[in-house]
Amino acid sequence: MTETGTRPRGAAARTGTDSDREAAIAELFEIHHLPLVRLAVLLGADDAEDVVAEAFYQLYRRWPRLRSPEAAATYLRSVVVNLTRMRIRHLQVVRKHAARSGDEQGHVASGEESAVLREDQKALVDAVRALPARQREALVLRYWLDLRESEIADAMGISPGSVKVHVSRGMAALSRVLEERK
Amino acid sequence: MSTPGADERLREALDALASGVRVDPDAYRRASAGWRRRYRRRRLVLAILAALVFAAADAVGLWALSQADPNTHVIFSDPAHRPEAPAQVDRIGQP
Repeated sequence: MTETGTRPRGAAARTGTDSDREAAIAELFEIHHLPLVRLAVLLGADDAEDVVAEAFYQLYRRWPRLRSPEAAATYLRSVVVNLTRMRIRHLQVVRKHAARSGDEQGHVASGEESAVLREDQKALVDAVRALPARQREALVLRYWLDLRESEIADAMGISPGSVKVHVSRGMAALSRVLEERK
Repeated sequence: MSTPGADERLREALDALASGVRVDPDAYRRASAGWRRRYRRRRLVLAILAALVFAAADAVGLWALSQADPNTHVIFSDPAHRPEAPAQVDRIGQP
């Protein structure tokens, strides 16, 4: 009788855990989806929604191993940063191959970007996009999300000292671009 | 930062770019259907792999057992210890 009693309880507990996870992730999606898509766009992802959907899938899969529900936002941010970097690296390889074979296509700005950005802002965004990936990530996390160095270090998986270096090098490069435009 | 106000300009530019980004209102339904499907498929593949590994281990074990020599005793591997025949005793004489 004990066995027949435990089985439905276990199944009910599992179903309860699954529905808890579904509810928690639905809430996180509601809160963080748009900011994460924007983060992916700022980091240079061309398929930002797919990157963010992948990040939520990774969260869904690893939910039982998550330290605490509060850690979910940090985890999602970190996954988006890493996936975007990998995606850009992949695209660079693809474009290099395309350039060799002669069917290269230039970057086409989306309608939103060209409609919203002023000329100087567009130049600045282009300069940010031209930076090395780590510098770009550090600048976006620092100046758009206003994260502290320790939070940026967590998101990028590097030390706070390296964050300082990337931010200062990135800003120096942007300053040079701004000086040249004067 | 050598250019004065460059960080402010950078913030403005990033904000302007970010504010132009819109998402599909139906994104949750689409994304959640996708990740549930992938999760189910992943669990199914893992279950099939576990079953295959279990079946392969069983098959190898059965094959090894069937190849073994039935006369080889793996549990008692010492040389056979047979009780010695009682020494020949000269029973002639006193009982």
